[in-house]
Amino acid sequence: MELIVKNLTKTYSNKVKALDNVNLRIGVGMFGLLGPNGAGKSTLMRTIATIQSPDEGKIHFNEIDVLNDKLSLRKVLGYLPQSFGVYPKMSAEQLLNYLASLKGIQNKEERKALVQELLEITNLYDVRNKNVDGYSGGMKQRFGIAQLLLNNPKLIIVDEPTAGLDPAERQRFLNVLREVGTNCTVIFSTHIVEDVKELCNDMAIMNGGKILRHVKPAKSTKEIVGKIWTKSVKRSDLEKFEKKYNVLSSNYNVDNSINVRVFSEKRPAVGFKKAEPQLDDVYFIALKEDNTN
Amino acid sequence: MFKNIFINEIRYWIYRPAFYIYCLIFFFISLMISGSAAGIFDAVTVTVGSSLIVNSPYALGGLFGAVSTLVIFLYPSIIGVSVYRDFKSNMYSILYSYPFTKLEYLLAKFLSGLLIVNIIVFTIGLGIACGFNLPGVNPDLLTEFELKPYLDIYVIYIIPNMIFTGAIVFGIVTFTRNISAGFIFVIIILILQGFLVSFGQEQENRLISALLDPFGDMALDYYTRYWTVAEQNELYIPIKEIVVYNRLIWMSIASFIFAGIYKLFSFSQNAFSFSFGKKNSTRFIKSNFGGITKILLPKVNLSFSKSTKLSLLWKLSNVDFLYIIKSWPFISIVLVGLLIQLIGLFELGNIFGTATLPRTWRILQVGNSFTLAINICTFLYAGLLIHRSRISNISQLIDTTPAPIWVLYGSKFLAIVKMQIVLLSLVMVSGVIFQTFQGYYDFQIGLYLHELIALNLIYYIIWALLSFLIQALIPNPFLGLFVMIVLFIGIPLTNLAGIEQAIFKYSQGPGFSYSDMNGYGSGLNRYYIYKFYWLCLGVVFYILTLLFYNRGYVSSAVEKFKIAKNRFRGVIPFFISVFTILFISIGGYIYYVNNILNIRKSSKESEIETVEWEKKYKKFENYAQPRIVSVNVNVDIFPNTRDISASGKYTMVNKSSKSIDSIFLDHNSAINTFKFDNANTLVLEDTVYNFDIYKLEKPLKPGDSLSLAFTVKNKPNTTLRNNSSVVYNGTFINNFTLFPSLGYSGGELRDDKTREKYGLPPNELKPHPSDSTALGNTYISRDSDWIDFEAVVSTSKDQIAIAPGYLQKEWIENDRRYFHYKMDSKILNFYAFNSARYEVLKDKWRDVNLEIYYHKGHEYNLDRMMKGMKAALEYCSENFSPYQHKQARIIEFPRTAGTFAQSFPNTIPFSETIGFIADVDDSEEGGNDYPFYVTAHEIAHQWWAHQVIGADVLGSTMLSESLSEYVSLKIIESVNGKNKMRKFLKRSLDTYLTDRTFERKRENALMYNDGQGYIHYQKGSLIFYALSDYIGENTLNQALSTYVKKTAFQEPPYTTSIELVNELKKVTPDSLSYVIKDMFETITLYENKVISAKSKELENGKFQLDLEFNVSKYRNDEKGKMFYGDREIDSIYFQSEEMKKPQYSVYLEDYIDVGVFGENDDNELYLKKHKITSINNKLSIILDKKPVEVGVDPYNKLIDTNSDDNRVKI
Repeated sequence: MELIVKNLTKTYSNKVKALDNVNLRIGVGMFGLLGPNGAGKSTLMRTIATIQSPDEGKIHFNEIDVLNDKLSLRKVLGYLPQSFGVYPKMSAEQLLNYLASLKGIQNKEERKALVQELLEITNLYDVRNKNVDGYSGGMKQRFGIAQLLLNNPKLIIVDEPTAGLDPAERQRFLNVLREVGTNCTVIFSTHIVEDVKELCNDMAIMNGGKILRHVKPAKSTKEIVGKIWTKSVKRSDLEKFEKKYNVLSSNYNVDNSINVRVFSEKRPAVGFKKAEPQLDDVYFIALKEDNTN
Repeated sequence: MFKNIFINEIRYWIYRPAFYIYCLIFFFISLMISGSAAGIFDAVTVTVGSSLIVNSPYALGGLFGAVSTLVIFLYPSIIGVSVYRDFKSNMYSILYSYPFTKLEYLLAKFLSGLLIVNIIVFTIGLGIACGFNLPGVNPDLLTEFELKPYLDIYVIYIIPNMIFTGAIVFGIVTFTRNISAGFIFVIIILILQGFLVSFGQEQENRLISALLDPFGDMALDYYTRYWTVAEQNELYIPIKEIVVYNRLIWMSIASFIFAGIYKLFSFSQNAFSFSFGKKNSTRFIKSNFGGITKILLPKVNLSFSKSTKLSLLWKLSNVDFLYIIKSWPFISIVLVGLLIQLIGLFELGNIFGTATLPRTWRILQVGNSFTLAINICTFLYAGLLIHRSRISNISQLIDTTPAPIWVLYGSKFLAIVKMQIVLLSLVMVSGVIFQTFQGYYDFQIGLYLHELIALNLIYYIIWALLSFLIQALIPNPFLGLFVMIVLFIGIPLTNLAGIEQAIFKYSQGPGFSYSDMNGYGSGLNRYYIYKFYWLCLGVVFYILTLLFYNRGYVSSAVEKFKIAKNRFRGVIPFFISVFTILFISIGGYIYYVNNILNIRKSSKESEIETVEWEKKYKKFENYAQPRIVSVNVNVDIFPNTRDISASGKYTMVNKSSKSIDSIFLDHNSAINTFKFDNANTLVLEDTVYNFDIYKLEKPLKPGDSLSLAFTVKNKPNTTLRNNSSVVYNGTFINNFTLFPSLGYSGGELRDDKTREKYGLPPNELKPHPSDSTALGNTYISRDSDWIDFEAVVSTSKDQIAIAPGYLQKEWIENDRRYFHYKMDSKILNFYAFNSARYEVLKDKWRDVNLEIYYHKGHEYNLDRMMKGMKAALEYCSENFSPYQHKQARIIEFPRTAGTFAQSFPNTIPFSETIGFIADVDDSEEGGNDYPFYVTAHEIAHQWWAHQVIGADVLGSTMLSESLSEYVSLKIIESVNGKNKMRKFLKRSLDTYLTDRTFERKRENALMYNDGQGYIHYQKGSLIFYALSDYIGENTLNQALSTYVKKTAFQEPPYTTSIELVNELKKVTPDSLSYVIKDMFETITLYENKVISAKSKELENGKFQLDLEFNVSKYRNDEKGKMFYGDREIDSIYFQSEEMKKPQYSVYLEDYIDVGVFGENDDNELYLKKHKITSINNKLSIILDKKPVEVGVDPYNKLIDTNSDDNRVKI
């Protein structure tokens, strides 16, 4: 099972280049697409999910030529967009039923059983008769998962699903995703590095419409062992440091001093301590390199 | 802060393309409307010829009214949406924490919306003004540009209307956060206004509807309703009492509403919503945190077969259908539509205040008022369904499912069709309920279903197909709705620009009409062909909608087309070409049949032909021709094939003093043959005008006779074309359409300015009656005087065929039924043939056989008609002269041939809708018993037309129509009593005063009239009725009787109105000679009015009534310009202290009724003619009983421009 994206390019009518010659090969398992807001992640996801046409490029999922045979892909697709609405005055049960028929589940009994089960799994059973437009963010996201699973998808695309969820909801969401994602391809976009770290066996970092890096999370942190340094500096010295060193990130300590993380082959200066590399570092390194180019 | 918000709102619109689209659309519509009114399309279509000025203040009011109604459809999406937009974009959560006040916020939002609408409305004024200045306008129709009328309309009508409607829409959308709710209101207010307009047609309702009309149109109408052409051309629109009150009423309602909005609005987030039942609140607690669930989903089968998809389509359409019928706009439109329907049903076929029986076809006709509701629902919901998933933002979920587009779109289309079926069924359900309620149980369910589902549905589907395409192309459903409304109204109007053939105009084509006698006749196949033709284009639209159906994200129009191009594969190219080819071939075939196989004349071409006809042949008008003295015809009517073939023989005599060498034969376009018994040569055969000239080898000497044998047969009927006027059941054909006639037949352009354009001299229409050389012909025929008549008419075996005359013999031959009719006395050359499956009712009046030939099932009013025949025969033969025949017959014909009755010699074809199915209400409040009344009128014509017939000069219709109408009024009076006449007289007066405002050429005095109905029927009957009151019924009838003796069955020169008026003058005392002048010789109108009336009880138990009243009268010239006498000294005036302007009058020496009425309606305490010599009059009357009501001319016998202020209650 493999998703191949070739030379995908898309420029919007406002001249923003959302996809710039994107090439990807994604196998079974969880694939994280990491990037800042506006990196082009959603455009890429939508394009794979068949609801946006690229200017150029090709997408193949197994035997399916996605751009020319959208319906075939949709049969095996589960898609959860970044944000979605629902028809007003429809309960979760009604809406799932409606979407199930759209996804091709013809038998009424089967549909009923499936919807029932999905409501249980997503813990929406108690509120199944409530209108979905009154749901909280977490409930709605769970509803999103439920609808995504309706057709037993082979390709699952979830776009920034954890944004705005409370920690418990987020954990639960990731667990469910992980559970269903074992036997299929899951593409999962986020700007939260944590999500990828916890879940994904493969990832890509994206910015400005380009894939900056396509790596395995575990391997990528290993590559920078010994190259991440940290130091606590005074607020007033921060600008100086930023000019002088390759500062990846900086954050306040309680005493108003600032902790900086620096990427460097050697210890940059006295006072810098070696730090355990994190996926964040990989992410920031990639973004930084792209900026300097 | 106000400024910031306001400017920000304006900026929002300035950057929206929709704003410019609206401006352009309105500018263009206004430009075209005013341009076409001013004649810019004269080059391609009929010349706009009229004595009306099209840019007079009054006319401008009409133009603005028409266009600005459309503007209010923009209110919801411009004014209404301004606050709601902040919620939709979530801007409110930031905005409402900012430091500004509610008032600033609301005012800024409201006023900015108002300003934007104002700018759009401004383009209407601009468009109208520019339209009058386009190249090609006819300067005769225009007066100089003036700013004041535009300003008047803006300030008095448009801006207040905008504020009022805008405020309500603003409130509704702000609180419901639903643009559709705003639309509901707009539609409701339009319907309400429409209701007030039709409600105000009845005189007694005019004041109330003038006050209540939200747009003020009826307030304007209140003052301008009776404006003559001259007044319409010259006066500014009135800004006085009722108009001001109306505006004040609605402005205060608007301020009230805005104050309410201000009070209720708060900077919080909850929309205002209606909830039913109690609110139960529960506390939700989250459970099941974290945890890992095993996911084992039950196995399901995914199916993507064709049949699955079809059943999915069906299922989805149900979901959409439920969405529609549960939504408020739908429910409201349906409720209001039903309400209108019901009101329409109660007013069912109101003629002279009397309703028609609720026959099913009648109900269905009223059901057509539902057309707009169904179409608006279609246009609106096509858009809402197409954009629904995107508006709800669920589109990403739906668009990524494997449901193909044809399923997604197909289900929406099907949902709309289901909605249409439901709405159409409502017409039936409400109709059946109404019929039951009226105690009428002849429900024709089959007819309901046939018309609603087979005939009407197809029409709505054709509109649905277009609206889906438009809605798929336009991203905003409300803009799409607006575009559809413009198309719906605009497409038929392209006629004005000379696009006349239905095949070029979407959804247009011949309609159908039903009659009890003839069903739908032969027109249905044609209807279906046109509908199928448009359906083919509709299917092409359907496929195009599939191509442009929005799925996923489309960032530009270019991309939209790219996607459409991509989707153009599979079966789509095949189907689109099949239906395009089908569409073009059917259209081509229709075009071929109508334009190439047959001659189609555009109205422009017809106009030019009329001109050419006059130029070529008018010179023969006074060329002596022999006169037809006897007619003997055989007519074969074939109802099944709708064919007719006839042969006949005219015997003609040269009654002139000169030899006649040429015969001018004017005939129809059917297949004709002609053979004279004298040797002749055909020197001219004009196949365009069907006008032939035969030169006789030996000229016909004075006194010699000539005969013409002819045959005539229609060209075969085809599906697309009817070449005969025979129908399956209920044929009615007169001799003018069937048989040839002699000489130039007239039919010239009437409007002098148009004539001038084509180089024709001004048209006097007819010679003046004083022109003694013009009295050679009757106004009915120009080639004969009195003839002998004999006819054999045949028809199918199950029908009866009728012609004037007495039945000599009836037989069956070759499975056809033959009737031989012969007239025993001379008649006018004016006869007709009828054939249908008739029932016959027979009766006798003295030795006269009375017969009514009627359609089975139409027995309702036969006795009233029989009574009418007898009453009129009695009255006329008692008062004027004996009846010349021994029979009188009424023959029913289908309503599809018209709603009228026409009197031929002893034979009266009578439409089914002018009496047969009237629902006469004999109670006090009931309207006119018109089956009785119309019958009496037609019988009276046996005297006033068939005994005495005027020459073909001005005013001759007074001798036939006015006098017949006078007879019916007198008969009604003898049945109902004098006191009940006011309602008839008032109705006639109102019709006269209203209809004369539509005059486009000129209005002459009664005795010189051009043949206008409002003069010879309404005014004529009022005048003869009043005259009989002044000089006495007996005196008048005596004079008429003398006149009949002099003129009945006379040979030329024929009589004229002058001769009758002279006869009347002889019996009129000198003191009343002014009456003849006012009534017959001039157009004179009274303004009689009670100023005050007080009564007090005297010591002797009697009552003293003190009455002050004004009497004044003025004259109108032929354009309706007011004057007070031929010379300055002929006028008098009066001015009291309160009066700003003096009241003028023609010099008075008039006798006017003053009446006093007691407790009961009938109780006439006092009625006397007083001699009035001044405008203002005071009078004291001593009465025995307590007076309740007084009046000057209380029965409205006189022509009075305000008939309501003649009576006053004390």
